[in-house]
Amino acid sequence: MRILFQKLLTALLLSTALAWADPTWATPTGQLQLPNFDSLASKAVQTVNITLDPNLLSLAAGFLDSSKPDESDVKQVIAGLKGIYVRSFDFDKDYAYPANDVEFIKKQLTQQGWQQLVQVHNVKEQTNVAIYLCASQGNANGLAIIASKPREFTIVNIVGSIDLQKLHRLEGKFGIPKMQVDAQK
Amino acid sequence: MNDELEKSLRFALRPVDPGEKFTQSVLARVAEEQPAAAARQRDHGRSYFGLPARPTFRWASATLGIVLTAGLFAAHQWRIHRTQQGLEARRQLFQALQVTGENLDIAYRMVNNQEPAGNFSRTR
Repeated sequence: MRILFQKLLTALLLSTALAWADPTWATPTGQLQLPNFDSLASKAVQTVNITLDPNLLSLAAGFLDSSKPDESDVKQVIAGLKGIYVRSFDFDKDYAYPANDVEFIKKQLTQQGWQQLVQVHNVKEQTNVAIYLCASQGNANGLAIIASKPREFTIVNIVGSIDLQKLHRLEGKFGIPKMQVDAQK
Repeated sequence: MNDELEKSLRFALRPVDPGEKFTQSVLARVAEEQPAAAARQRDHGRSYFGLPARPTFRWASATLGIVLTAGLFAAHQWRIHRTQQGLEARRQLFQALQVTGENLDIAYRMVNNQEPAGNFSRTR
């Protein structure tokens, strides 16, 4: 009994230590640890660095006009979100972005909870787009998009409860394509 | 008629000696009022029931006014800052949606093979 208790305690301490040391090991929250990409930012000719945490999201929601249909839809979509993180870099040379940073992110996307929805590769244009969804207990709580072109590299991480039906309302707006798929009710 | 009226008016308004009694009562009243006025003068600047004396009270009022003005100014500045922060967050939100939408669109077009066939490799 005492040995069993010691083993349980050891396992508990070990799991706590692992979760502390490597947050990706813990229960997936849908949030990726994005590298700081400092070296990329210095090489890029254009950089988009967006970090919208829950506070900023709720602040932004306060500045959306509910009387305008587009903004009202956006308000509903972001209502359940906990964060939006975008890192996008444009370069004047091909493949200026470091592969190890990309691998660091892809490694997180192999963790429990994340699943690849789609990966497309255009050989001619050398374009890769991968879309991942993090689901926990049947609910989508994270979305990640990794898009790379020879001179462009983009990572999008949307954290929180993603209501696909509400997201469906944004189709055709903000560059979001019309999927022409009926939303399941 | 006019002379008679004038005479009766002059008679009615003639100066009359008030008498020694009236003079004494006025002097007594004046003597009574002087200590009270002196006491009021002496008590000027003293605090009552813990309330500050008048000059201090003036300073406190001025300080309170300055503090209130500074507080209102700080609140106004904070509101301006918060508004700017909110508008920037709103701009970033739309930009994030734009970038997300563009990449979803690229993936969608590639999945649906809208580009010439044979150029894509697709998973799932």
